[in-house]
Amino acid sequence: MSAALVATGLSKRYRRHWGLRECTLEIPQGRVAALVGPNGAGKTTLLHLATGLLRPTSGVVSVLGRTPDDPEVLHEIGFVAQDAPLYRSFSVRDLLEFGRRTNARWDVDLATDRIERLGLDPGQRAGTLSGGQRAQVALTLALAKRPRVLLLDEPLASLDPLARREFLQSLMESVADSDLSVVLSSHLITDLERVCDYLVVLSSARTQVAGVIDDLLATHRVLVGPGRDVERIAGVAEIVRTSRTERQTTILARVDGPIADPSWSADPVDLEELVLAYLGAPDASALPPPSLARARAEVSR
Amino acid sequence: MIWVSWRQHRTQLLAGAAAAAIATFALYLTGMGIWSNFRGSGLAHCLTLPSTDCSDVASLFSERYTNLSFLVPLFLAVPALIGIFWGAPLVAREFEQGTQRLAWTQGVTRVRWAGTKVAVLGAATVAITSILTYALTWWSRPLVTAGDARFQLGIFDLRGIVPVAYATFALAVGVFAGVLIRRTVPAMVASILAYAAVRAAVEFWLRPHFARPLTIAYPIFAASPRARLGDWVVSQVTLDGSGHVLSHGASFDLAMVGSRCPGVIPKDGSLPDKRALQACIERIGLRVQDTYQPGTRFMTFQVIEFTIFLALAAALIAASLYVLRRRSG
Amino acid sequence: MIEFRLDPRSGVATYLQIVHQVRHAARVGILRPGDQLPTVKEVVGSLAINPNTVLKAYKELEHEGLVEGRPGVGTFVRETVKAPPPETHAGLRRSLDRWLRNAFDAGLEEEDVRALFETSVRDQATETVA
Repeated sequence: MSAALVATGLSKRYRRHWGLRECTLEIPQGRVAALVGPNGAGKTTLLHLATGLLRPTSGVVSVLGRTPDDPEVLHEIGFVAQDAPLYRSFSVRDLLEFGRRTNARWDVDLATDRIERLGLDPGQRAGTLSGGQRAQVALTLALAKRPRVLLLDEPLASLDPLARREFLQSLMESVADSDLSVVLSSHLITDLERVCDYLVVLSSARTQVAGVIDDLLATHRVLVGPGRDVERIAGVAEIVRTSRTERQTTILARVDGPIADPSWSADPVDLEELVLAYLGAPDASALPPPSLARARAEVSR
Repeated sequence: MIWVSWRQHRTQLLAGAAAAAIATFALYLTGMGIWSNFRGSGLAHCLTLPSTDCSDVASLFSERYTNLSFLVPLFLAVPALIGIFWGAPLVAREFEQGTQRLAWTQGVTRVRWAGTKVAVLGAATVAITSILTYALTWWSRPLVTAGDARFQLGIFDLRGIVPVAYATFALAVGVFAGVLIRRTVPAMVASILAYAAVRAAVEFWLRPHFARPLTIAYPIFAASPRARLGDWVVSQVTLDGSGHVLSHGASFDLAMVGSRCPGVIPKDGSLPDKRALQACIERIGLRVQDTYQPGTRFMTFQVIEFTIFLALAAALIAASLYVLRRRSG
Repeated sequence: MIEFRLDPRSGVATYLQIVHQVRHAARVGILRPGDQLPTVKEVVGSLAINPNTVLKAYKELEHEGLVEGRPGVGTFVRETVKAPPPETHAGLRRSLDRWLRNAFDAGLEEEDVRALFETSVRDQATETVA
């Protein structure tokens, strides 16, 4: 089964800097994936490349096995760009009509039901909607075309907490209802923790972390202890971040076995801690093994 | 996608239609007056009689309407307005407002999206310009016939079929500028400049040479034997008997006459003796030479210029679609 | 009808929180045998969590025998609730008291005991699920 989103050596150069550099990742279908990274890390660039809004400088990107050149791919992708762009002079009804006329597959009932349940007036002009309402309308447009992959660029960034919660509730209901893969980018991790089960960390325009969140959390620990020798702790596969005081060393590490040494206490890590540790350690990475990725690629071809 | 184009450009299309309707109605009202005057003054009848000199009646008639000459540049500007207000924002506005991220991630390709919009606006352009040109041609026929001016620079541009091609070209220029520049106001400025430049280039450099112009010479004080044949006199020079060009236009320098015919020009500044002057002129062999395009070529020239601008429009639209398809957002 | 709530800071996995809340509800009578649990869509619509989390919780509950899923209809509390027999509790309590006495004799403070206990519970829980 082809992955929801695959990038291979994907690079995009703007006039004076690289938006994305040799980015390689594979987000499987059926997941709600968080695309995380600091501003300028390439999240928007990656999503724009996947939807065909940008052309890569080099490398390949594909959604459900199709490249953006393929005109069929737009039917499978629902996209909401940053700040949920809409035609300000169009009414909500006009926007739904716009969606109906520009998409081969369009679920009129889903669209009108959603608008009704959101309590929106179909005759209201998009320019007069609040930020949260605009995000919901944009999401409606993306969902009503019945995509198989939903790409959302910082959908929560300009929303107040209530609007954020409502957006996520709405989104999760749609995921529960259908066979939808979601990729949402954000630079706020706490919101994503509840809804995402796959994580991609983009840092300095390349992939740093990629994996199922449960697995990542299961294989990372914070070790605290008095020992100074961190090189050969049994059970530690890779050290992500170390911090030391005179008598105490704290390590965030990827582990591949139990920590037998009793002088080290091993505590679980939460998602935000994990992401922050990796962002602070640009040389570290946690990526699925290349052999596995290659094997999956063979199958999908 | 046609509905989308209509909905997005609804205001522009309605405004254009309204403006055209008002203009056409105004032309109709005032035109009735002009036509009735044309017939009432006897000019219409006079002009149907073959070898009658109607110039007195004609100038009387034309003088009544000299203050309408401001309309000429006004209507010349109409195609440019279409280019600025319909063409330039078409793609540029999407980029400026970021809505291309919405428009181009639905199920239509960029080419189909832009192509349909251009087709809708193009059809409206052709319709509006055709109606306006038809009204203007009818409205101006008395004046143009009185002045024998239909082939003149500026007048040629407002009648027949060329205005439709100008407007389509202006639309295409606007769209292309918008695609390249991606900002509405700079695209508008670039459109006006490009449109004006190309129009001027064709009008002043190409049009006189669409077909090989003919020449005719006649004595300086005589009327051109080709008067009232609807010719376009491209240039005019005054020659002497041996073919030297003495001046541009139908004029001569008294000093030059004086040098060729000593004694004809009195030194005290009084007017020269008419018969002596006449004899001198005949001796020098002063004549006017018109380089002209015969009036019978009017329609041919219309078709040639129409084709040029339509071809340019098509090329620009194709280029726009190509750039949209190839370039990254 | 049961209404779930999520404590994101408790350190307990989301799906486990749901499992605990269902168990507690069944024990105190909020949920009775034959009651339908909220659909996955309803739960995610109110909590804004991943549907897979809810599915995982319901699967765990089904595995424990507390609920049963009827395809196309929903998930229902079972007629009989499997509870550990009262003797098990007493036996477990006795071995716990014994262990605590050993721990305190060995010199562990109450804090050490709690830390040790929580680590073990966590590790055991993830092992059983895996």
